[in-house]
Amino acid sequence: MKRVIVIGGGVAGMQTALRLADDGCDPLILEKEGELGGKLRDWYVLFPTFTPASEVLAELKGRVIRRGIEVRTSAEVAAFTPHSVTLAGGETLACDAVVVATGFTLFDARIKEEYGYGIYDNVVTSADLERMFAEGRVAKSDGSRPRRIAFLHCVGSRDEKVCQSHCSRVCCITGVKQAMEMKRLFPEADVFNFYMDIRMFGPGYEEMYREAQQRCNIHFVRGRISEASPTIDGRIQIKAEDTLTGRPLKMSVDMLVLLVGMRANDSNARFAAQSGVERSPSGFLAPKSLFLDGVRSTAEGIFYAGTVTAPKSVGECVCEGYAAADAAAEYVKER
Amino acid sequence: MAAINFGYTISKPRAIDIDRNNLRKSDEILHEMPELQACIGCGSCTAVCTAGNLTSFNFRKVHTLVRRGEYEGAYEEMNKCMLCGKCRLVCPRGINTRGVAMLIKRKLGDF
Amino acid sequence: MFAAVAWKWGSWLWRLSSDDRRRILKGIPSLATLQAVGETVSESLLHRRIFRVNPLLGYMHMSLAFGWFLLISVGWIETVSYMGFRWVPLQGHVFFKYFATGLPHKPVFEFTMDLLLLFVLSGVALAWGKRLYSRAMGMRRTTRHAWGDRIALSALWFIFPARLAAESLTAALYGGGGFLTGSLGAALDRVADPALLGHAATAAWWFYSCCLGLFFVGLPFSRYMHIFTEIPLIFLRRYRLRSGEKEGAFDRFQIEACSRCGICIDPCQLQQTLGIDDVQSVYFLRDRRYGRLRLATANNCLMCGRCQVKCPVGIDLNTLRLNSRDTMRNIPDERRYEYLKGLDRSQGAGKVGYFAGCMTLLTPRTLRAMERIFGAAGEEVWWADREGGVCCGRPLKLSGETDSARKMVQYNTDLFRKHGITTLVTSCPICLKVFREDYDLPGIEVLHHSEYILRLIRSGRLPVIYGAERYTYHDPCELGRGSGIYDEPRAVIEAVGELLEPASTREHALCCGSSVANTAISDGQQLRIAQAVVQELEATGAETIVTACPLCKKALVRGAKGEVRDLAEIVAAHIR
Repeated sequence: MKRVIVIGGGVAGMQTALRLADDGCDPLILEKEGELGGKLRDWYVLFPTFTPASEVLAELKGRVIRRGIEVRTSAEVAAFTPHSVTLAGGETLACDAVVVATGFTLFDARIKEEYGYGIYDNVVTSADLERMFAEGRVAKSDGSRPRRIAFLHCVGSRDEKVCQSHCSRVCCITGVKQAMEMKRLFPEADVFNFYMDIRMFGPGYEEMYREAQQRCNIHFVRGRISEASPTIDGRIQIKAEDTLTGRPLKMSVDMLVLLVGMRANDSNARFAAQSGVERSPSGFLAPKSLFLDGVRSTAEGIFYAGTVTAPKSVGECVCEGYAAADAAAEYVKER
Repeated sequence: MAAINFGYTISKPRAIDIDRNNLRKSDEILHEMPELQACIGCGSCTAVCTAGNLTSFNFRKVHTLVRRGEYEGAYEEMNKCMLCGKCRLVCPRGINTRGVAMLIKRKLGDF
Repeated sequence: MFAAVAWKWGSWLWRLSSDDRRRILKGIPSLATLQAVGETVSESLLHRRIFRVNPLLGYMHMSLAFGWFLLISVGWIETVSYMGFRWVPLQGHVFFKYFATGLPHKPVFEFTMDLLLLFVLSGVALAWGKRLYSRAMGMRRTTRHAWGDRIALSALWFIFPARLAAESLTAALYGGGGFLTGSLGAALDRVADPALLGHAATAAWWFYSCCLGLFFVGLPFSRYMHIFTEIPLIFLRRYRLRSGEKEGAFDRFQIEACSRCGICIDPCQLQQTLGIDDVQSVYFLRDRRYGRLRLATANNCLMCGRCQVKCPVGIDLNTLRLNSRDTMRNIPDERRYEYLKGLDRSQGAGKVGYFAGCMTLLTPRTLRAMERIFGAAGEEVWWADREGGVCCGRPLKLSGETDSARKMVQYNTDLFRKHGITTLVTSCPICLKVFREDYDLPGIEVLHHSEYILRLIRSGRLPVIYGAERYTYHDPCELGRGSGIYDEPRAVIEAVGELLEPASTREHALCCGSSVANTAISDGQQLRIAQAVVQELEATGAETIVTACPLCKKALVRGAKGEVRDLAEIVAAHIR
């Protein structure tokens, strides 16, 4: 049986391995963390249906185990070619093809110093908030209930000042989802979402946006927050322009949530240099074509699945798992 | 001559009339600073603006109006700017905002 | 030629302000004159400063200037020795060999003159070499000259080879000559017939005198005007004449003293990183001299001062560029900034005032750190602009709007005085420079936060712990080259950890690229400069890049993999 190595054990990687097994190949998942699941492990519920992430993850992991797919955790990849993968420990594994499903890196919000993340209490990122949801204790740092919450869209995406010019796509809908969850937890609180553009690209997303506005009474303010500073009573004062009225706006809030974007992994540059695959200007790996070869790399025998090529939602990553596995299986059979 | 008060004033039409507006100056400005077209109107420049903090100066609005051929008052408005450069530090589109302020003043000094 | 030079000097001196003239009159009978004479010898003849920048270039310039000077003076002495002690014009020697063919030979002079000719010729050869392949001379780029300069340059290059040919041919015909012209002459005598040599000698002497004539006619109008302008410039500088924020007559001495050597091109980061090669000081001065300066050229400069440090003539390049911008852009408007009247958003009270500066408001970590430092030292602080203040005026000044900048200067001066502070601390070097240079703040000491923090540490008011971290330091232009503050930030860093110096440091430090002085380059170009700088800083192996300017910090963080911190932050993290 042909051996195909899947680098990365997130949703895309797991689905790729499952499909490879269906296609009659012998997949091996290399996961750098201690367990499978990738970024989804840190997520609470998924848009637009509020389905628990754990439910999706448990099902996918169950299938991997039931199929008896070989998995190596805590195995970080140092380099790869189409027919070999070298681990950080120096061990080299032979294979017939490689599927890269290494995912993305969350933008480090501390770089946007003016938003005060890591400086003031109660400035959190969307990832922090998911963790708080999952742990069931969403509160201000002093344990009290927030009465006014602001979300800021596009932190570390569409921002040339931090060299992240691309749109991370899923943060808009994440912002809407998290705002609704906050409203559910704190019905008495006012929730404001500050945005530049709202991009509702998926099925059910626009409807969810409307629901957030109409049913949940979430305030959407068109303007990007420019500065955050602490007030004497421990709140956070934010400044923006309310561009629809053309006037500067300032308000104090109890919590400021930064919707951080997806950025390309630093390892992409190394992989591109070693394996001859190409990177797009955003730093994500570039598929051979955006239309007919979305899961193929520019090098023979190397395939992509998931967010290693661009920001994507969970559902899209799973779909790419199927496509990448089929493309890889076709390749190894013809070899 | 003293102005005669007729009891009413003729108000200017509200609409920005692109058919009527002369876009030559606007084109000149965009020719020298094409990146200004990349503005997505997020308002960051105006929110941080040192002068906008103290006056009604709205950088985003002024340059948008100029791009539509509405030049009246643009020079005077831009003269409120202190050129401190905070806006350039926050612009997510990397627009050379200080350069824009200087360019608009240079091109529209006689309006 | 002398008439043209005299006319130029005369008219520039005439147009000097009365203050400047008084300075000259006061300076002439003082020690400054002697110092100026010394500097003239060391710079105009020996080119000591170029030697420091690049020895080969120094030799080239010295051999041409000092060699020619000796050639003229020794030649004059030789002529005098033949003609006896009577009045001999300085140029008397030029054709001496041509006319005085029948005189007895004096081998000592012939040897000396040949040696000097060889000295000059070696310089000419190097100049040829530099044109063809500047990299060999340690210059990545050399100046692209205007056609007028090219003519004068070609004339200069041919003068000495022509003289060699002419003297050798004369030696061939009539004998004599030193080791160079004599032996060349003898060789020619053996191979060519005398009639041909006679014609060739006439042609060579004619060519020689044409080149010489062309050069001296072109001199006052070409780059070679620097030969005669540098001398008065040295004297006037010694008499404390300076260029100011408005263009003035003294500027002409500076502008025409530029020899267009092109040493300013290589250190320019716009050239190094972005490949912009038509805005450097040499081109700026040339365009301004001939009255064809464009705004695009004047604006496209970081004013980092890296070229000024290297300039062998010591021209005050930044000030000249600033007052050009003033001429081109300053539009006095009395009504402008009327909204500043009566404004005061400051908080707190204390003898120490803290002015964060506009940019620092976007780096709250620095603000926070300053707050902690003031707290730990038990300092009562008046916060000038935490809730938004008025810009210091330097960005306007750098853009050429000097009269409008005055309004800001006036506003802030009044504000500082009103609150009765005795010390003004700022963490922004841009503000610091304008506070020190353009504000009239009697009784108020202006300090950069690096100086202030160092004082606190040294006086024991701010106990800090020495940690194991390794830092590298980026010199902000306005702080280092602009205000001469290099040691204080380093001393502060060394109080809390280990300091690793990058390859370009102190007065040669790189600019972060985001300078407010430049309104021409794009965001992408700023980023490329920042990335190049970060690369050099990260090559030191330090975990953290430290700087002392909010603008530098914002710029560097865009290209950095590791941490970029303000000086105040690392101190605040090490308070005992």
